[in-house]
Amino acid sequence: MDKRDYKNIWVYIEKNDEQIEPVSLELCCELRKLCDVTGDKLMAVVLGACPEAELEKVKNCGVDGFIHVEGTGYDYYNTEAYANAFTVLSEKYRPSAIFVGGTVNGRDFAPRFAVRLNTGCTSDAMELVYDEKTGDIEFIEPAVGGKIMAVITLPVLRPQIGTIRPGTFRYEPAGAKADVEHIYERIDFPVEDIRTKILGFTPAESDSQLDISDAEVIVCVGNGLKDEASLGRYRELAELLGGKIGCTRPLFDRGILPYKLQIGQSGVMVKPKLFLSFGVSGAVNHVAGVDAELFVAVNKRADAQIFNYCDYGIVGDMDQVCDAMIAEIKRMRS
Amino acid sequence: MLKILVCVKQVPDIDLVKMDPETGNLVRDGVPSMMNPLDMNALEAALRLKEDMGGEITAITMGPPAAEAVLRECLALGADRAVLVTGREFGGADTLSTSYVIAKAALQLGSYDLIFCGKETLDGATGQMGSQLAERFGSSQVTSMSLIKSLDMEKGSIVVEREVEKGVETIEARIPCLFTVEKTNYQPRLPNYRGKKAARTAEIITLGPGDIEGLDAKLIGVPGSGTIVPRIYPPVLPEAGQIIDEGSAAASAVKLCAILAAEGRI
Repeated sequence: MDKRDYKNIWVYIEKNDEQIEPVSLELCCELRKLCDVTGDKLMAVVLGACPEAELEKVKNCGVDGFIHVEGTGYDYYNTEAYANAFTVLSEKYRPSAIFVGGTVNGRDFAPRFAVRLNTGCTSDAMELVYDEKTGDIEFIEPAVGGKIMAVITLPVLRPQIGTIRPGTFRYEPAGAKADVEHIYERIDFPVEDIRTKILGFTPAESDSQLDISDAEVIVCVGNGLKDEASLGRYRELAELLGGKIGCTRPLFDRGILPYKLQIGQSGVMVKPKLFLSFGVSGAVNHVAGVDAELFVAVNKRADAQIFNYCDYGIVGDMDQVCDAMIAEIKRMRS
Repeated sequence: MLKILVCVKQVPDIDLVKMDPETGNLVRDGVPSMMNPLDMNALEAALRLKEDMGGEITAITMGPPAAEAVLRECLALGADRAVLVTGREFGGADTLSTSYVIAKAALQLGSYDLIFCGKETLDGATGQMGSQLAERFGSSQVTSMSLIKSLDMEKGSIVVEREVEKGVETIEARIPCLFTVEKTNYQPRLPNYRGKKAARTAEIITLGPGDIEGLDAKLIGVPGSGTIVPRIYPPVLPEAGQIIDEGSAAASAVKLCAILAAEGRI
């Protein structure tokens, strides 16, 4: 394999109920910038039908072209038809890199076709840098629980495959190109060969407390929390401020709060106006998920890394600070 | 008989791994290792299925000789046999090459109707191994599987639930099938004394590179890996924020509230 034979960068356009997933557009915006550096064409790959208005959004992110795949097997997401389509397309067009949104489904099929193509797959990069000397993309991501940043490359194999978490890159459309190329491919995957069938779907109960991605105020508790019984005061503080509660991975691991409240790169990305963090050490992969206007941190350890990310910090017992805040806010309002 | 494979990994307790501020290297000395927490949920799902349907559970891992400890845990909890794939040649492998080796080793010892993996590991956290193993085994796959509802061996199908962003899918998958397991419904059990005692002396099948037939040396370890890590560096920390210190936690909290109120935040 000569990696110089592989050109152009692809983004998989993921749909959900006829709408394009925001992460696909975020990827198009970020990779537009990268392609301007590498000189590659940015191609959007669409499997099955997609409403024209939705494709306009993709165009507006500055893609150079589309690869539209028609055929059987794409009516609902399934590992096999989707992995097959990317294998066939990649063998034919030899892209330098393929990016897939790190949704549950994106993470399901991207590693699978990577193996079929015998190439490497990275996950959850937070930054993409082009190394002109090697021609490789550097996928930069926090590792070992965020204690280090790791640079990952594919020095030999192509295509370079990466899944990227929703919310990692910003949706900042560069505007549509004057000329947009359209390639049409027919790839039929026999429907009877799809080995998984969706029998039903139960939408998640719409518990608004579990949807924190758009919350304006978040009270985030970390591993400093003594036990489940101590959680009540943080709920009260969140309620007082009209906000919601969130947590870090160890609290999910300890079974105290559900996964949907886990903030960070492997959980939810949040962008509140006010973020109050209690007993959080400040690992990079957690704080990477926080884009707050005002960030407050409370931790008993003065050397906790979280203080590097806050606007205001208090070194002290998290429960005491929380209790005093509740009392003071009530007093101020009475 | 139902044949089940459970893939597990020994990981360091990353919350205890520290970084040497001088060298930027990770200090793993004295950091305890354990079974990857989400692999416990995968094993639990397999154990419950075996309790309902009968069958044989094989646990497999790749790692240094010390990784045998997690296999003994699997045996203590009810796995029937355990396979350790170990050898220097396997070191430095990414998921591309690890999935190749594990599948080769497992298939040499038999075939499997169902394969269970944790959703991701604590250390690598790529979450890729499940899908990549499914490709190596040529099986169907259901990632983020949260509940097994029914298994029909005659029909060769299994009905499960799968957690996606907006809800729960009910999926019928053809066997053989690989699952990555959510922790939702599979809280791991604790081993009993008898299990632990038996596991201590149980035989562990150990396979080195020379023991796996037809293993292509170019596809294992570092040479077989698609990705490399050319460098690591400590995270660049922003400037520390303003620390409020009014002498006591309570007094500092009051001051903080005053600042937040003045900034119109509360």
